[in-house]
Amino acid sequence: MNDMIFTAIVIAVKILVVLAVTLGLGAYLTWYERKFAGHLQARRGPTVVGPFGLLQPLADGLKLMTKAPILPKGIDTKLYYMAIMMALVPAIMLFAVVPFGPSFKIMGHEVKPIVANLNIAILYVFAMGSMAAYGTLFAGWASNSKYAFIGSLRKAALIVSYEVVLGFAALSVILLAGSMNVFDIVDSQIKSGIWYIVYQPISFVLFLFCLLAESGRVPFDIQEAEAELVTGYNVEYGGMKFGIFPLAEWYLNVLALCAIATVLYFGGWSGPHIFGPFSGFIWFLVKTFGLLFFVLWVHWTLPRYQAKDVVEFAWKYLLPISIVNLVATAFFVYFKG
Amino acid sequence: MAYIGLLSLLAVMLGLSVILISLNWLLGPKKKEPYKTYPYECGVPLYDDTAQTTFHQGYYILGLLLLLFDIEVAYLFPWAVVYNFLGVFGFIEVFLFLVILTLGLVYAWKKEALDWQFDLESL
Repeated sequence: MNDMIFTAIVIAVKILVVLAVTLGLGAYLTWYERKFAGHLQARRGPTVVGPFGLLQPLADGLKLMTKAPILPKGIDTKLYYMAIMMALVPAIMLFAVVPFGPSFKIMGHEVKPIVANLNIAILYVFAMGSMAAYGTLFAGWASNSKYAFIGSLRKAALIVSYEVVLGFAALSVILLAGSMNVFDIVDSQIKSGIWYIVYQPISFVLFLFCLLAESGRVPFDIQEAEAELVTGYNVEYGGMKFGIFPLAEWYLNVLALCAIATVLYFGGWSGPHIFGPFSGFIWFLVKTFGLLFFVLWVHWTLPRYQAKDVVEFAWKYLLPISIVNLVATAFFVYFKG
Repeated sequence: MAYIGLLSLLAVMLGLSVILISLNWLLGPKKKEPYKTYPYECGVPLYDDTAQTTFHQGYYILGLLLLLFDIEVAYLFPWAVVYNFLGVFGFIEVFLFLVILTLGLVYAWKKEALDWQFDLESL
């Protein structure tokens, strides 16, 4: 009985921590991105609200919350609301299988800093990743606007193309680790002392392409395309209903996929113990934010490609490369041992 | 056991998203104006009453391709996990599987299903 209460408390604390970390970070990533983009373009970014503009996300949130609730004419009301849920819920659910650090002990119980230690974690990531496409599709279909509809169809085309490549890219890592559990994958990297990016550089590059495409970052942001589609699928949403879409897609999805990439290719929390007892957690965050920094850098540097180019690129180049990479990895694992 | 955390997170998230959606009703002004709910189309009157019409079949072909290849990937996941225990059997079996899969890809390529279909529209 005592054990059950302990487990319940642990799960509640984990969920609270995940929600606080993801929503707080998600909000503050908007500040970070604007600041970053500003300095990249020889501007200063937000400076007015608070020191260094640090209170800007709070001001933005307040502003979004107090906007008038508008339902556009001729929308499909059920789908209109469901789209918001389908965008936000899978984006947060991705964090359920992110291991934030090594397991530790509290009161004689071993606690793993992960909400759900699934044995099919990577498969679960793909499931939730493709669920996010429904949010976009529903939003575009329900809003009764052609801009939104075109944007959502483009996004769907992009996601279905890169989903396949993502699967093949991650398969070669699973082949090396022999498990889909995130803890097993990280442990096998720590045990051998070599991160999988050394064995799988091609797979990592493919994963990076898919990360950018799935989260709608430049150069794959054809569904946004400010110049031609205004902002694409969420043009008819307003207030907090609008605020959820960029939060889920641009920040939470990117953060979650960066964390998964860290687990798959950069050895998760492995690293020298130079930060005391929390060094595992700090290393994990450092690696994740390093990847995030790269994503933002790419976003604010490159131009946008046409929908035609990026979709054909996925099927005609990335998919054959990923299949060849998988076969090569299978050969490697078979003849190594 | 591991799924308890997952289900509770799902429940919490569903509640939270409902709260976030209803925030505008609770806090925002509710003044009605005639053109407030008019759909956005660059300031001109709408050409069609509804935007929920047919869409190009090129997207449909992409959906079919996804069904084909993504389900193949789903078959490969269990194989990747137990690969170390299968030996030469697992190696050859999946090699054949991937060859057949690649033949499908080549076929789709030859039939121009991988091309972006919109170029045909101008003809």
